[in-house]
Amino acid sequence: MNVVEVSHLTVQYGSFTALNDFSCEIPEGCTGLLGPNGAGKTTLIKTLLGFVQPQSGTARILGDDVVSSGPSIRQKIGLMPEQDCHIPGMTAVSFVAYAGELAGMPSAQAIRRAHEVLEHCGLGEARYRNVETYSTGMKQRIKLAQALVHGPKVLFLDEPTNGLDPRGREEMLDLIRSISHGKGVNVLVSSHVLRDIERVCDRVVVVMKGQLRATGTIQELKAIQGQPLDVEVREPNNAFASRLMEIGAVVGPPKNNIYRVQLAGDVRQAHITVQAAARATNAQIRGFRVAERSLEDAFLDAVQPGEPPHILHATTATGGAQ
Amino acid sequence: MASPIADVSYRDYDGPLFAARYRWWVIAKQGILLASKKRNLQVLSFVSAWYYLAMIIVLFFVNQGGSGGNSEAGNRIMEGIMKNVVWKDQFLHGFSFAQLPLLLVTLVLGAGAIANDNRSRALLVYLSRPCTKLDYLIGKFVGIFVPIFVILAVPTILFYGYCALSFNQYGFLRDAPWLLPQMLVVILMSAAFHSALVLAVSSMFDQGRVAGATYAAMYFITNFFTVAMSITWATADGKAPEPVKHLFYGSIDGLQIGFCKAILDTRGSRPFVGGQRGAEANLPVPAPPLLAISLILLAIIAGSAFLTWRRIRAVEVVG
Repeated sequence: MNVVEVSHLTVQYGSFTALNDFSCEIPEGCTGLLGPNGAGKTTLIKTLLGFVQPQSGTARILGDDVVSSGPSIRQKIGLMPEQDCHIPGMTAVSFVAYAGELAGMPSAQAIRRAHEVLEHCGLGEARYRNVETYSTGMKQRIKLAQALVHGPKVLFLDEPTNGLDPRGREEMLDLIRSISHGKGVNVLVSSHVLRDIERVCDRVVVVMKGQLRATGTIQELKAIQGQPLDVEVREPNNAFASRLMEIGAVVGPPKNNIYRVQLAGDVRQAHITVQAAARATNAQIRGFRVAERSLEDAFLDAVQPGEPPHILHATTATGGAQ
Repeated sequence: MASPIADVSYRDYDGPLFAARYRWWVIAKQGILLASKKRNLQVLSFVSAWYYLAMIIVLFFVNQGGSGGNSEAGNRIMEGIMKNVVWKDQFLHGFSFAQLPLLLVTLVLGAGAIANDNRSRALLVYLSRPCTKLDYLIGKFVGIFVPIFVILAVPTILFYGYCALSFNQYGFLRDAPWLLPQMLVVILMSAAFHSALVLAVSSMFDQGRVAGATYAAMYFITNFFTVAMSITWATADGKAPEPVKHLFYGSIDGLQIGFCKAILDTRGSRPFVGGQRGAEANLPVPAPPLLAISLILLAIIAGSAFLTWRRIRAVEVVG
């Protein structure tokens, strides 16, 4: 079942079009929402939460229309906003319990649950402190705690690592990963930090200028068309490269003793062919793997200027031997 | 190795979740709870009831002195004093003298109600839950309205009870049989008026202090007219031009005092037991027409609610 289904969604702020005929489907699991600043990521989250009325199109969360079923949907959603948000004058435990009550939890359950999630988010020791006295890292954690308190089925995290130091960032990513894998919570992480997305997400949706540019698993997006191989040798060997080119391979120049080799046929067949060429030329192979781009390359490729729709699904990215 | 009891990994919540109804009550309850913990509010509650407390003390000693030994002379003294007392005017005075402390109560309760939420972007917490703008608005309103109502109503009811038990023989219930319901209507209107107005002001700022200063400025600037008109009326010995008696009520507290006079059907008298009955008391300004002042108050409440409604926007704070 898809967690989010968006169909031909158009959202405008006055004359500015924030989402332009945007369509995508987000399956269960942890999905990253990638895009440069102003791409429309936050507008998509706003629309899914019912804060913004779309001009046209539909959006569904867990099968419910976001416009007609707003309150019941929001009971199943947790939002961790980008900016600091808290209720003034409250301790962490009362704030999180209050957030639970607002979501519909009975008072006693909300308090019990607040203690649980604060402990889980690493704020157990500071739970009786006023939230206004918290550090930036603690404020990020309390935002996550208030989003989790009512046991949402879908969690929207908007720039969850903003303002965190390296250690805090790692801990936050660990938290998100632990929640989004095997706990029944579907997570949509909006960020422009590719490393964070790669660390916690299984899939990504790339948005640019209010339009969908790419969607798929991270492996799919990083894959290069034609499945070239990266062959690491002990030292550059021109005879090896020439031998491969004689049998029809496209071989790029060595980079850090790695040749990018593109051969016809499947990976297993290519493996055998490369080994044969190495034996024939006395080249020592140290490593052998299917070549892939970095997520950054995949992202830059997806957001490069061009006439929309420039939508990549699965392994349609271009790029061959170096 | 962690024992099972120390397992702090995330667990899904499988308990009950109420449907998205009456969410406003959660917000109101929180507002009332926070208000009840404010010590300055407890002090202000006593201060706002000072006239009733003073009257209870005065009447207690008058009663003790006048009826000492149940002598005929004592009864004559009591009747002499009591014939000057206009009971409904005592409630008008109690309500009027509570206005300034009530301003402070309103500032403590309401100045930061929405302004602080704007500053800390708390609207995102509210509106990302199954909570509508209407829930938020009603919840905030009730969270201010209920404490103001209680602060005004409790001393009024206590004073009414004391008078009903101690001075019934001097015409307390006979003179104004509908006094308590009338006063409760006045207090309801006053609490609604202050709550709606302070929320509207609060919604326009993102600093509780700035909102409070603005509300206080509105109170005192409009109050200037009340004072000016009052002086004009007093110096003209009741023969002031017609607009004076209308402009006298053109302030935050003036509107409420005018409504109270109109409901109680009195023009007022001098405070404490030295008051004069009815038309003999020529200094206080006559009561305004009940319908007109009721409509003005209701229009201000509705206008304030509309303004607040327009200002509550989650999108603005999402960024």
